[in-house]
Amino acid sequence: MIRIKAEELQPGMVTAREVKNIDGMLLAPVGCVLSERQINILQAWGVTEIAIEASEEQAQACDPLAQLPPETLAQITARTRARFWRPDEFGPVSAEIFRILLLREARRMLKLQQPAS
Amino acid sequence: MTPPTIKAMVQAIPRSLGAYGPVLREIEEALQSPQCSLNAMGDAIQKDPDLTARLLRLANSPFYGFASRLSTVAEAVGLVGIQQIQDMIVASSVLEQFKGVPDDLVSKVSFWRHSLAVGTAARLLAMERRLPKPDKFFVAGLLHDVGRLVLFSQAAEWAQKVFELYQRERILLRDAERRVLGYDHQQIAAELLQSWSYPAVLIQAVAFHHAPEGSVAHTDAAVVHVADHLVNAMGIGSSGEHFIPPLSEKACAALGLGPEPLAGIVAAVDDQILVVEEAFLKRDNGSAK
Repeated sequence: MIRIKAEELQPGMVTAREVKNIDGMLLAPVGCVLSERQINILQAWGVTEIAIEASEEQAQACDPLAQLPPETLAQITARTRARFWRPDEFGPVSAEIFRILLLREARRMLKLQQPAS
Repeated sequence: MTPPTIKAMVQAIPRSLGAYGPVLREIEEALQSPQCSLNAMGDAIQKDPDLTARLLRLANSPFYGFASRLSTVAEAVGLVGIQQIQDMIVASSVLEQFKGVPDDLVSKVSFWRHSLAVGTAARLLAMERRLPKPDKFFVAGLLHDVGRLVLFSQAAEWAQKVFELYQRERILLRDAERRVLGYDHQQIAAELLQSWSYPAVLIQAVAFHHAPEGSVAHTDAAVVHVADHLVNAMGIGSSGEHFIPPLSEKACAALGLGPEPLAGIVAAVDDQILVVEEAFLKRDNGSAK
């Protein structure tokens, strides 16, 4: 499974999770093969991220953390850690927030590297 | 020299709706009329072209995510809801009220960016957790640090001392406030919102956003607490704090909030924040200062 942005959806992609709008209304069930029309509906409802089925290689190619050089990854990890007050006391929610921040930063850096895309 | 009392600082701040007074009064009058209709509401709002433009921009944005485009004010009122419009006007008037606060300790644009993002995140969290009236959390998030503005505007020299201690010892800003003043920005905000007769639950949510366990409106305060943490982590604007303040896992447990929905909420905040900033900060052709 990979998570992609609504604007990157292509017809034929298969949903890996239920897609709901912000009010919890079901827009697409699990295992739904998305048509052009359905993609338009998801975008119109302002859905931001969608979980879709993907092979091992596709997932690897979509993981921003796997695409960064290890030393860059170590740098952003250290920099992000330093911003937290007492990062040693992380619970499960904090740990997830930390992971999201790393991903967000990695995506930003990858975008800077390829301004054309 | 002793620091000023919270009461003295708050009393020096007049309660005024500024330029928004007339629209708000007209809306309240229209609401009381037995013939109140969406069109009547729309007419009242349309007298303020600036408010109209911002309302339509917000109503047509991912913030609401309506599937079709809204073009008339009456439609927007019907879908957005009158409560949210009143909240938007009140929020705008608070922004205007503190326009004159000096920028030397914290930039006001940065302060309001942080506040608007916390409002946006709090509303999204409340929606995700299926709490009633998620829009009210937008206002609570927006106003959560307003106590700092009171301090900056009414006791600049004391605010300066707070910042000196906080920079020297690298401690949390609110701990520096407590050591220098004997109270923190949460208590100042509570006093201010009380003097403005805001709803008790909203005051609780603001007054306990760093320690939601202590509040009688535990859930409301917990929502603002988590939203504040998220936005500090995302680094959108700043209300002066250089560390990401600690997250209370107890508050998450009280909300029944696990790690799963967070990625979606962060993405949605990133997605909505620009429109929200435009709707609230860009007034009179972008003079947001």
